[in-house]
Amino acid sequence: MNGESILFGLLNVAFVLLISPFFMMVIKKVKARVQGREGPHLLQGYYNLAKLFRKETLYSEYAGFISRIAPYAALSILLVAALQIPLIWIPEQELVTANIIVFLYLLVAGRLLIALLGLDTASTFGGMGSSREMSLSAIIEPVTVVVFAALVYVMGSFSIHGIFRTAMTTFPAYSPTVLLLSVPLFILIIVETGRVPVDNPETHLELTMVHEGMLLDTSGRNLALFELSHAVKQTLLMAILLNIVVPAGIALELSAFALVLGGAVFLLKGTVLCVIIGLFESAYAKMRFFQIPNFFMIAFFFSILTIFIEVMM
Amino acid sequence: MILTEVAPAWIRICLILVLVSGGFLLSSRSLKNLVRTYQLQSFLLVLIALGLVVLEGHTILLLVAALTLISKVFGIPAFIRLIQERMSIQQDLRFSYLRPPGALMLSILIILLVYVCFAQILEKLYAANSLFFLGSVIGVSLVLMGLIAVCTRRMAISKVIGYLSMENGVLVFGLFVTELPFFIEFVIIIDLIILVLLTSIMTVGIDSSIEEYKSRMKEFHLLSEEGGMS
Repeated sequence: MNGESILFGLLNVAFVLLISPFFMMVIKKVKARVQGREGPHLLQGYYNLAKLFRKETLYSEYAGFISRIAPYAALSILLVAALQIPLIWIPEQELVTANIIVFLYLLVAGRLLIALLGLDTASTFGGMGSSREMSLSAIIEPVTVVVFAALVYVMGSFSIHGIFRTAMTTFPAYSPTVLLLSVPLFILIIVETGRVPVDNPETHLELTMVHEGMLLDTSGRNLALFELSHAVKQTLLMAILLNIVVPAGIALELSAFALVLGGAVFLLKGTVLCVIIGLFESAYAKMRFFQIPNFFMIAFFFSILTIFIEVMM
Repeated sequence: MILTEVAPAWIRICLILVLVSGGFLLSSRSLKNLVRTYQLQSFLLVLIALGLVVLEGHTILLLVAALTLISKVFGIPAFIRLIQERMSIQQDLRFSYLRPPGALMLSILIILLVYVCFAQILEKLYAANSLFFLGSVIGVSLVLMGLIAVCTRRMAISKVIGYLSMENGVLVFGLFVTELPFFIEFVIIIDLIILVLLTSIMTVGIDSSIEEYKSRMKEFHLLSEEGGMS
């Protein structure tokens, strides 16, 4: 491991931690504006995290060691995933071994930890949330695998570095397959981050909540870590979509100017995508639980279609 | 010159969007969205025809594009919208045989089947021009996807959109493989307009007698109190 690898890792982790709460707030702001409200300040996410980090952490009397390690483990897993996703700089050589299958497993490991946390607190809401999360993930996982399979087939590489590099340097921006891929990747962001119409991150209604149900007994620093890891997960998935569909602006060489420009362009692209997500969420109502697989089917359809079209062309 | 270079990519994107719109016609429950999607699908056909004019130079395709624009992008959707508004139908939630996820799965299998068959039948075309091969596969797939919509939808108005989508598939196939004569395309469009008219009439009164039919027309505001069409 050389200095460039360490710099690459540090850049990725620092940048993703820095911008993730901002993206969450952009979506909330857009949703509020659509509803005719002022909405939170764009820096409110940072204030909330600072407040939660200062608060006392309370544990259920039944909570075991899972409740104590899960918040740290969930964030650590996602930061390992962040090491693999180039956000603002794609080096010429692959500095960190990054495989799309490893990335998938890391996402699944994070989900499993949160589901275990829901069960560990021994509350009925937590158990219900975990049960729903696992039922949904049994359907999400095959679709996610097919979406990434389409991505790998089109880009011709399992390596995330290779995929991004191909999208940046050799793949034409107007390629129909890239256009098609953007739809399942967008759906994946909605599904994996538990957004409307799959789940509503702002509800605490027992009939509808999935993700929030598992975190209901979490407080203080632990809640802050979960909020942050949720935001990081969203940014990483957004980075996959953005750096493949609109790769312009990513630094290809290591220089201060290129890195600042890459960061600024990613921030801009991410903000636009967040506005689209906010508008999408506002346009749809939450689906009934048993209707949710229909939504996944659209992602599946588009992914298979992408593979077919790539074969036919 | 630049147009000739851009045209193949432009046609490819339009073809894929046509296929996507076919999938959307199978899964959408809102009738307003169904009509809008059909309108968009037809507009994409206009763009494809124009792209082929640039690429091939057949000016007859300009007439096909103009005819499609007038009849399928503006005429037929406007008429279906009028019927929808009069009858206050918003959604089609009833399906037979297959629900939208099943219909989408079946359409994936159909696209695969068409591709495998055409790779054997149109082997020379595939080797000579992959764009025309893609057009032919998507055309026939769209016909079969329209057929799925006709079989799985229960409302007459949604079935009509299935038929219209089938005809769009025939047009795509005609544009890329058989060079459908303009006259036949013109006759098909007249048939389509009659189909839409007849289905609208049947939707209102298929289960009524001739005596009841007039009152049924008035009920849905399709006939004025004086007896003229409103």
